[in-house]
Amino acid sequence: MDVYLDYQSSKPVDPRVIEAMQPYFYTTFGNPSSLHSSGDKATRVLDQCRHTLADFIHAQPDEIIFTSGATESNNLSLIGYAMRNKNKGNHILISEIEHISIHNIAKYLEKNGFTVTKIPVDQYGRVGLRKIEERITEKTILISIGYANNEIGTVQPIAEIGKLCKGKGIAFHTDAVAAEGLLPLDVEKDNIDLLTLSSNDIYGPKGVGVLYGAKGFRMTPIIIGGGQENGLRSGTENIPGIVGMAKAAEIIQKEMAEEVKRFQGYRDRLIENILKTIPRSHLNGHPTERLPNNAHFRFDGIEGESLLLSLKDKGIAASTGSACSSKTLEPSHTLIALGLLHEEAHGSLEFTCGRFNRDNDIDAVLKALPEVVERLRKLSPLYK
Amino acid sequence: MKSTQYSEKVLDHFRNPRNVGTLEGENVAVGRVGNPVCGDLMEFYIKVKDDTIEDIKFKTFGCGSAIATASMITELAKGKTIEEALKITRQDVADELDGLPPIKMHCSNLAADALKDAIHNYKTKQKPKGEVPEEAKECKEGIAGVDKFIDRGVYFTVDDPTTLKDKRTMVLDRGEQSINLALELTKHTSRVVFVTPTKDISASPDLKTKLKQSDIKVLYESKILEITGVSEVEKVRIHDLNEDEEYELFIDALIIL
Repeated sequence: MDVYLDYQSSKPVDPRVIEAMQPYFYTTFGNPSSLHSSGDKATRVLDQCRHTLADFIHAQPDEIIFTSGATESNNLSLIGYAMRNKNKGNHILISEIEHISIHNIAKYLEKNGFTVTKIPVDQYGRVGLRKIEERITEKTILISIGYANNEIGTVQPIAEIGKLCKGKGIAFHTDAVAAEGLLPLDVEKDNIDLLTLSSNDIYGPKGVGVLYGAKGFRMTPIIIGGGQENGLRSGTENIPGIVGMAKAAEIIQKEMAEEVKRFQGYRDRLIENILKTIPRSHLNGHPTERLPNNAHFRFDGIEGESLLLSLKDKGIAASTGSACSSKTLEPSHTLIALGLLHEEAHGSLEFTCGRFNRDNDIDAVLKALPEVVERLRKLSPLYK
Repeated sequence: MKSTQYSEKVLDHFRNPRNVGTLEGENVAVGRVGNPVCGDLMEFYIKVKDDTIEDIKFKTFGCGSAIATASMITELAKGKTIEEALKITRQDVADELDGLPPIKMHCSNLAADALKDAIHNYKTKQKPKGEVPEEAKECKEGIAGVDKFIDRGVYFTVDDPTTLKDKRTMVLDRGEQSINLALELTKHTSRVVFVTPTKDISASPDLKTKLKQSDIKVLYESKILEITGVSEVEKVRIHDLNEDEEYELFIDALIIL
């Protein structure tokens, strides 16, 4: 069995979630919009799920909008909010290290009359409050900063950003996909107005997500139809998927504290051992303010895709920010924003652990990686 | 097709590359193509006798297909005359490897070019590209935006290095004193970048060794063109004189002694 340490890319669905979803494909298949008893059943279960997800992030049930996943949630929050509120202003702030979906939505908004300004990060990937403040103008209506970064694992000062936005009367959106299930989320305490969640990132099925929209933060729908989800997201509800996401949230709420402790142990073992045993290896991201399951490295003189291929040969699955493994052949914009040179960004390697990892997975990496790095460095003209 | 969906032959050459290494001596020529910025750099060493490639070695920084194509072409070229070897095309290399993913055909299929470069250098008895560029002019001049950021990230002296704690600091080459400062700064921040317009640093051997052993990132043959930011330094635009390319780098401070 392969060692899977790429949980940020995709997660397996927890068998308990699959079991919870099962009845909703054949036995209880009603459409919540129907008036008969089968429809009523579906309405009830949808309602329960809405409560569970609201509870997961300390929101109210009527603030939960079910979507087809994080990408749609990001689209609805940014495009939906911007379009609805363009009479108030046309300026939006995002960070340099947002997920590609946010960056591309920003490009779309720029083509449609909005101005988007990017906020730089420090060498560990943290957004500074002063850098945000000095970019705010009278026309700023929305600030979108990811809760934590999916590549380098750096966690942002969300409560402080929330407070800043509240004080200025600017809507605050955060894509919490990388952090959900790893850090406790509280939209009320942290003054978050819009928040993106994905089902798969908490071991639920793919194709389901949530956008939390606080009361009073109005949006224009981007999918028009029968008026489901308060008119904000039309389309017959994906009941089995929603049930799966709710079950996944319920499980993770109960088990997070214990699970996170275990991940931290894996992460710290990887970081300590790799930095110690492999010369000229570096940790990317923040030394302490980082996701408990993320270990992100770079190795001088070698290239990430070669690293991945070599690890694949040894049965280990990981991830890289190298251009050679991306669709665009550009290195990760997140690593560049840290102040790294292209050749440094190419040598990056990311491990993210998750629910089904065990100690011996970490053993396998610590055994294989030094050999792999050494072999590739022997081939490299950049490592002398 | 995924960018990493390789044929068995590619994987074989990636796992067991042939003819890795370097060559020295008479009748040896070196070819170099690519750029680490793009993720691929290839060096070929050929030893020629009676117009025939007697021996060939390579070193590669790059992805799986970069390594495999380099390895394959050494097998194809060995024993061939230089005129025959010049006729080897990128397509030949890809065909011999049972194909490459389309996205890799251009970016990581540089072996034929690197071999041509080596043969060209053999014929003209040249050294590889990238000779010393002309010495840069007065440092501060020519950097747009300097005046806007004085004491807001641009400093001409550093009295207290602790003020640069955890800052991504760039130090401009101003002789040995600037190297000493860069070394001192590594005690306070993990990111120090040293920028010099020259191909080699002029300093005592001892200081050069210290610089080499440090974590300082040295950008050779590079010139700062412009500083940008809102209220303080955030980015510099750099001109790579060797490649004649420009790129941006995020920093927090720039020291010009």
